[in-house]
Amino acid sequence: MYVSTKGVKKKKMVVRQYQEELKYLEKINNYCWRIKKGFQPNMNVEGIFYVNNTLEKLMLEELRNACKPGGIGGFLPGVKQIANVAALPGIVGKSVGLPDVHSGYGFAIGNMAAFDMNNPKSIVSPGGVGFDINCGVRLLRTNLFEKDVAPVKEQLAQSMFDHIPVGVGSKGIIPMTARDLEEALEMGMDWSLREGYVWAEDKEHCEEYGRMLNADPSKVSMRAKKRGLPQLGTLGAGNHYAEIQIVDEIYNKWAASKMGIEEKGQVCVMIHSGSRGFGHQVATDALVQMEKAMKRDNIETNDRQLACAHINSREGQDYLKSMAAAANFAWVNRSSMTFLSRQAFAKQFHMSPDDLDMHVIYDVSHNIAKIEEHIVDGKQKTLLVHRKGSTRAFPPHHPLIPVDYQLTGQPVLIGGTMGTCSYVLTGTEQGMQETFGSTCHGAGRALSRAKSRRNLDYKEVLDKLEELGISIRVASPKLVMEEAPESYKNVTDVVNTCHAAGISHKCIKLRPIAVIKG
Amino acid sequence: MEELTDEDFAIPPVKYEYLDHTADVQLHAWGDSLEEAFEQCAIAMFGYMTDLERVDMLQVHEIEAEGHDLQSLLFHFLDELLFMFCAEPFIVARKVKIKEFDRENYRIKAIAVGEEFSIGKHSQGAEVKAITYSAMQILDKPEVDRPEVFVIVDI
Repeated sequence: MYVSTKGVKKKKMVVRQYQEELKYLEKINNYCWRIKKGFQPNMNVEGIFYVNNTLEKLMLEELRNACKPGGIGGFLPGVKQIANVAALPGIVGKSVGLPDVHSGYGFAIGNMAAFDMNNPKSIVSPGGVGFDINCGVRLLRTNLFEKDVAPVKEQLAQSMFDHIPVGVGSKGIIPMTARDLEEALEMGMDWSLREGYVWAEDKEHCEEYGRMLNADPSKVSMRAKKRGLPQLGTLGAGNHYAEIQIVDEIYNKWAASKMGIEEKGQVCVMIHSGSRGFGHQVATDALVQMEKAMKRDNIETNDRQLACAHINSREGQDYLKSMAAAANFAWVNRSSMTFLSRQAFAKQFHMSPDDLDMHVIYDVSHNIAKIEEHIVDGKQKTLLVHRKGSTRAFPPHHPLIPVDYQLTGQPVLIGGTMGTCSYVLTGTEQGMQETFGSTCHGAGRALSRAKSRRNLDYKEVLDKLEELGISIRVASPKLVMEEAPESYKNVTDVVNTCHAAGISHKCIKLRPIAVIKG
Repeated sequence: MEELTDEDFAIPPVKYEYLDHTADVQLHAWGDSLEEAFEQCAIAMFGYMTDLERVDMLQVHEIEAEGHDLQSLLFHFLDELLFMFCAEPFIVARKVKIKEFDRENYRIKAIAVGEEFSIGKHSQGAEVKAITYSAMQILDKPEVDRPEVFVIVDI
């Protein structure tokens, strides 16, 4: 285990046996574990993570492997990363691990942490947001049912695949000039609306109404803009996808009807994508800047990957402004693909998207940092909330959620993996108190990509999907193994843990019938 | 930059592999010299994005990278090449050759030989989002007989 003692450069090996490590972890109840101070050096607050029995085994196995001598070459297990985040300056409450948590870059993926905006020592960290800034999920409904789609499923999947550019090296088909990009970065979905790609009501059903107002394109490098311009309106690769899904189960009929979901069998479209190369470059640029700022301001962290800067420093402010521009890029991106999906459906069914009732149910961000008001120790505080692989899940009556969902709580969209189901949850008051209104984001990887490639067979994975009645269009055959359901934690375990722990509630279950992927 | 020779177009042997990491992939490359290990690492990155067998050597692109130590030099060297692929001129390299390796000022001048990526001709592999410092290692002579580098790229 690498643990820094003095400064960033000097790293000291702290070798602790697995049994010793376990003394710092305490099971509070069937769904929740506490990470005590001392598990990693300089923890300002405790850590907490939510797992059920199945996920608990995966979590502890990762820790046990890291304790083996000769170890895994400096990879920190998720539970250690949660603890390192707890040692960052200005953190309040707890460093929280959600049920889909796994080892990531700096922060674990499925990790959220909040920092007091009024503490001058508080930091902002690009590692707490992730490379794919404002990666998120959008869900569209339709008034079609499975029986309407089943006979033309293959054609529809092909049409979606033809409409939406996917995979490595693909370029967007929405016409964009450098000037358009500047405006889009500043305006987010207001740009999409002005250009006629979305409907006015789409904005209502997005976090931040699809536009972060503090975005400042002038803080973004030319490099990021050059990477972003050709990729606007592209899905990407990796775990990103567009799926045609069927409502498989309704757990809360009343909340579902507020979302326009009336019955089992109803057809929806889910889009999972982010800010593409633009966001990746913004994150890369910020990490380079922050390494310098850390030295200057003597910010000490347990892990070099937790590069950060004081929120009020120039680097901190520049990052927040460029992150906001990347967030706007992502909303424009998902909006462009919303437009393309609507077109594909309209052409297939010879009906307008409007007549097909293809409204946005909601759009969530699961890689982002936001300024929010929360109650900490009985006092209202302004916090910078980092959510990395974690979704905002605000309770009923929260002022930042749209009128339509004031009584149900915010819809939370949980994308499953290729061939497994996805969920819609709603935010709860308990989640607001325990996890700063945050919940899980998806399944979370269980197998490494290389292991998936070795252990899984391309044809077997495809055959299995066919058996399940799922049409698939994928640009990269290798991705089929890497993204196979076997490579991920079971999303149902993840969602059930969130439900049982009360940090969000199950509302709708969706199953895919067609998958379009990079 | 000096004129190109036939050697610049010779396809190098494979001296890299892909190692396990939960969410991402670790590139492990080696060579007779550190230059070669760097070059191989770059090819490993392109090899994860597309099948290099299908890439012809039709275009030459020059890149320059600068760092403040060896690790940041490797980081920026790969970042420049990733940028060359992601934005104009969208080149995927079959071969990368380091022409100047300044170890005192941490500067590299290199050429990438390949062609513009085109869907249809080239297969689509995984997308590399970013280069990271995560568990980055650079091992050089005389500490080791065979120079090697380890880089985790974000997928």
